[in-house]
Amino acid sequence: MTTVEKSPIVEQILAALRNVRDPDLGRDIVSLGFVKNIEVSSGKADVTIELTTPACPVKDKMKEEAHQLVLSVPGIREANVTMTAQVRATAGPSSSQFLPGVRNTIAIASGKGGVGKSTVSANLALALQRSGASVGLLDADIYGPSIPTILGITAKPAATERNFLIPVQQYGVKVISVGFFIGEEDAVIWRGPMLNKLLDQFLGTVEWGDLDYLVIDLPPGTGDIQLSLCQKIPLAGAIIVSTPQDVALKVAQKAITMFRKLNTPVLGMIENMSYFICGHCGQREEIFGSGGAEKAAQRLDIPFLGKIPLVTSLRASSDSGRPEIIDNAQSPVAQAFIHVAENMAAQISIAAMKGEVGQEVKISF
Amino acid sequence: MHPTPREITRAGQHDVKIIWNDGHESVYPARELRLSCTCAACVEEMTGRKTLRPDSVPQDVHPLGIQLVGRYGIQINWSDGHHTGIYTFETLRASCACPQCKASR
Repeated sequence: MTTVEKSPIVEQILAALRNVRDPDLGRDIVSLGFVKNIEVSSGKADVTIELTTPACPVKDKMKEEAHQLVLSVPGIREANVTMTAQVRATAGPSSSQFLPGVRNTIAIASGKGGVGKSTVSANLALALQRSGASVGLLDADIYGPSIPTILGITAKPAATERNFLIPVQQYGVKVISVGFFIGEEDAVIWRGPMLNKLLDQFLGTVEWGDLDYLVIDLPPGTGDIQLSLCQKIPLAGAIIVSTPQDVALKVAQKAITMFRKLNTPVLGMIENMSYFICGHCGQREEIFGSGGAEKAAQRLDIPFLGKIPLVTSLRASSDSGRPEIIDNAQSPVAQAFIHVAENMAAQISIAAMKGEVGQEVKISF
Repeated sequence: MHPTPREITRAGQHDVKIIWNDGHESVYPARELRLSCTCAACVEEMTGRKTLRPDSVPQDVHPLGIQLVGRYGIQINWSDGHHTGIYTFETLRASCACPQCKASR
């Protein structure tokens, strides 16, 4: 807490702000150290509150609460609350080797293919970026890299003098995809050692710069690349995407088991294709039986981050490379992604604050 | 969450000491640790039968370096040239040889 003027009235404002709780972190914003500045002059108070993510799901609610509480302090006639954010790092052991400027690396995984993992990854990255965070997206789906299509990328990454790749910027997100390096018609039949080498190159030779979040779109399943990734970099955690179908959920559980074995926290589960919204009448149809992933998440004790509907516009926008978050952020599907991204950011903040991840292991041998 | 080390350091001349995040300390004698390697070259994949012959491992075998593997284990570069084994934190903690842990097994 840095105060220009720590007068009795500033103390009173601080005392009032102790009533604002961060529901995710379960403590008040003063003891969390979120109140960064209070200035008072002739009855007008300027307060700056710094959150742990710009994608905080309750940012507006907390701002309003703080505003009312500051106004309730005797002698304050006008209040101006500014919300900022400083994303905390969950990167832990050996993070210096790979991805030095990346504060949080999140792997988007699924037990099986075809659940819309890439569409979810791309839109989550866009939603985080839209909130004001600096975001990277690594398309590691070697078997079917679809991020360039979803985001409408035709450019190829440039290289620096040191032969580092510079990610392609699209809609404000820094993107690197395996698709940049293989032709659209090529089938990838690489096996373990080659995959490993590719991953090394991907992780070690991209100039990501300073990132709050790096979203990694993993290939489906629980194979080599997932394993290698968890061995090479300490992920802030993994997010599991599943459809509500029973069979999809059963394989999703396999992925969860794998991540738990590798001591990688599973930060949450997303239900994609949760329900169908009819393009003509707007009616909601639960094709696969909505809510299955939510129940599974409960049973497995994993945070449920939200449901993404199945709508024709999402398929169309993914094919045309113009995501709805960019063109029509108020649409139900864009709002669903924004909501899920906020919940995900909250889970990352919780993990970072709890120190569950990101503990350095000191090796002196 | 699984047990996680706070610090991995040396005990005596060659032995490995782990201080866990709950404050517990474990010491692993170098040669015993080498002999307990679970990699595919030391243990047969399908049957789980140990194929590593103890007499092929030098008496004074010792770690030259230790690296973290993700957030779930370590890899040790041994003085006999072996380095393919991954020792997960879970197995390391479960095999702690202190009297307290031994008694609880």
